[in-house]
This record gives sequence, C-alpha cells and structure tokens, in this order.
Amino acid sequence: MAVTETPVEAHEEHDDHAHDHPSDRTYVGIALILAVLTAVEILLFVIEDDIARSLNKVLLIGLMVIKFYIVGAYFMHLKFDNPILTQLFMAGLVLAVVVYFVMLSAFEFNFWNDGFCDTGLPAASELGGDDFFANENCSS
Amino acid sequence: MAATVVTESHDAHDGHGHLETNTGMSNNKLAMWLFLASDCLLFGALISTFLLYRTNISDNSPFQEPADIFDIPFTSLSSFILLMSSLTMVLSLSAVKRDNERSARIWMLTTAFLGMIFVGGQVFEFTEFVEKGLGYSTNTWSSAFFTLTGFHGVHVSVGILMLFGTVFGTRKSGLGKEKSETVELVGLYWHFVDIVWVIIFTIVYLIPIG
Repeated sequence: MAVTETPVEAHEEHDDHAHDHPSDRTYVGIALILAVLTAVEILLFVIEDDIARSLNKVLLIGLMVIKFYIVGAYFMHLKFDNPILTQLFMAGLVLAVVVYFVMLSAFEFNFWNDGFCDTGLPAASELGGDDFFANENCSS
Repeated sequence: MAATVVTESHDAHDGHGHLETNTGMSNNKLAMWLFLASDCLLFGALISTFLLYRTNISDNSPFQEPADIFDIPFTSLSSFILLMSSLTMVLSLSAVKRDNERSARIWMLTTAFLGMIFVGGQVFEFTEFVEKGLGYSTNTWSSAFFTLTGFHGVHVSVGILMLFGTVFGTRKSGLGKEKSETVELVGLYWHFVDIVWVIIFTIVYLIPIG
C-alpha cells in the first residue's frame, strides 16, 4: 500500500528540527560571550589614542553587529526556527536601514566625521533666528 | 491503493499547536515577527534622526560633547543588566518547555525585575540630565536623544507589563508546557528590546562625535 505524504508531515519534520533548541548551559555560555563583548566595547571606548579612536568606530560597530546576531540567532531562536521568520525580520531591518540611509544622504550626512553639513536650507540666521544647525566642522 | 496519512504534527501541548496554517507555524508567532519587523522601522527612524542631529549641540547646552555628560560606567552596567535579562527570559522559556512551572515563573519575574532596574536607571539618568540643565527642548541633540531612549524605555516598560501579565494572568490556568508559545512571544518581544538597546548603546553612548 502506497502512502502519500501530506504537507502536514512536511511541517512535522521541519518542526522537529525547530524544537532542537540549545540547552540551558549553552544559553549561559552565550550570555557570557555577550558579557565579554560588552566589556570589550567599554574598553575600546576608554582608549584615548587618536588613531585607535578612529579605528574604534569600526570595531564598535562590528561588535554591535556580532551581539545583534548572537541574540537574534540563539536567544530569539532564528537559527533554529523556520527560515521564513529570519527572512521576515531581515526584510524589516534591511528596509529600515536602506530607507533611512537614503533619507540621510539627502542631507549630505557624514556619519564618520561631522554629522550633516549642508541641509540645502537657508541658514536660520538669514531668517532672523539663531543658527541652530550650524556645524563648525563643516566647510562653508 | 493509496492512502493519505495526516499526522497531527503540532500537538496542542508543544506550544506551536496550529497545524492548519500554510506556513506550518503558529499565526501568533508569525504576527509577532511581523510586528517586530515593523518596529525596526520605528527605531530605524528614531536612530536616523539622532544620527542626523548628533552634532547639533547649541551654545546653551550644559556640555560640549555628549561624552561630557554621559556616565558610561553607569550606562554600561544598566546595559549589562538588560543583556542578562535576555538570558533569564530564555531560561524561563526553556523551563516552560520542560513543564517546570515554578522555574519558569521565577525566571520571568527575575527578567521583569532586571527590566525594572534598567528603566529605573534610565529615569535616574534623565533626572540627572535635567538637573544639569539638559532638557527635552534644550537643543536638537537632546530632543533626538530623549525621544530615542525614551521610546526604548517605553518598550521595556511594556515588556515588563507583558511579563507580569503572563506570570499573574496564568495563576489559575497554570504555566505549563501548553503555554510555551505565550512565553515564547513575550520572550521574542523582550529580546527585540534588548537588541535595539545593543544598537542604541553603541551608536548613542560609545561612538564619539568627530
């Protein structure tokens, strides 16, 4: 007698995999890694050297991304759950980053140096107000 | 003769018990992830606004650089507390899945307690800033800062309410294995709030201007 698998069975196989979550010991280990990464972040912040400070931005963002990944993958179980959830979350995340970087670029935004320089708008002082948005780091 | 075997793969006690869905997973869980994806846009907007105005510190500001007013050791400690609350939350879910109701309740209450310490720390920080002359409308930097961190604080507070609601709302019905999805959804929200703070802590507090 032939047996036809139904989609329900397919889900079962998938969920068997989905329930294969880490043990409590693994969770504690992951938390320790996160704690160490946070300590490294603070150490990088404390370093006063100019060259190190410029490199720090890259390192701090790198550490931030690693921490984000670890919490998302292990604590939120994205690594073990249905991939559609990862795709859903990443879609929101990527959309947010893309849309707002496009918006920021409209202000000639420069994250690495001095915020934004030229808004394309008249200076507030020209309109009789305080030049609230003036940025001394920008060349006029 | 062909026979069709329909196995009830998602038994009602495993917390994922919604077998008649196209995705094969709980609609509630999918909805929570959709909400979290949309919340990315909210925090994306707030973080972008902060980045845009991070150099707009006016003359009447009580500091020249944000680093002058931030108490990094204090904020680091509260960040660490929030990070560890993610551990207690995931241990709570693990306990529920093992049908260990008592441990699950203790871990959830611990998570709520750690969350309250974090929010208390944020209130303390805000109070300090205001006492030093940095109000919501002092400059655009402060407006963006208070809006971003304040919204995050509201999210943490809502998470605390969700935790208490789950712990005390299940006193009669119990917090057994069949409630694991409820705990998982609260946990997803809590971890999301945690990863948002990972970003805020780095971008707002640690990365210097210039």
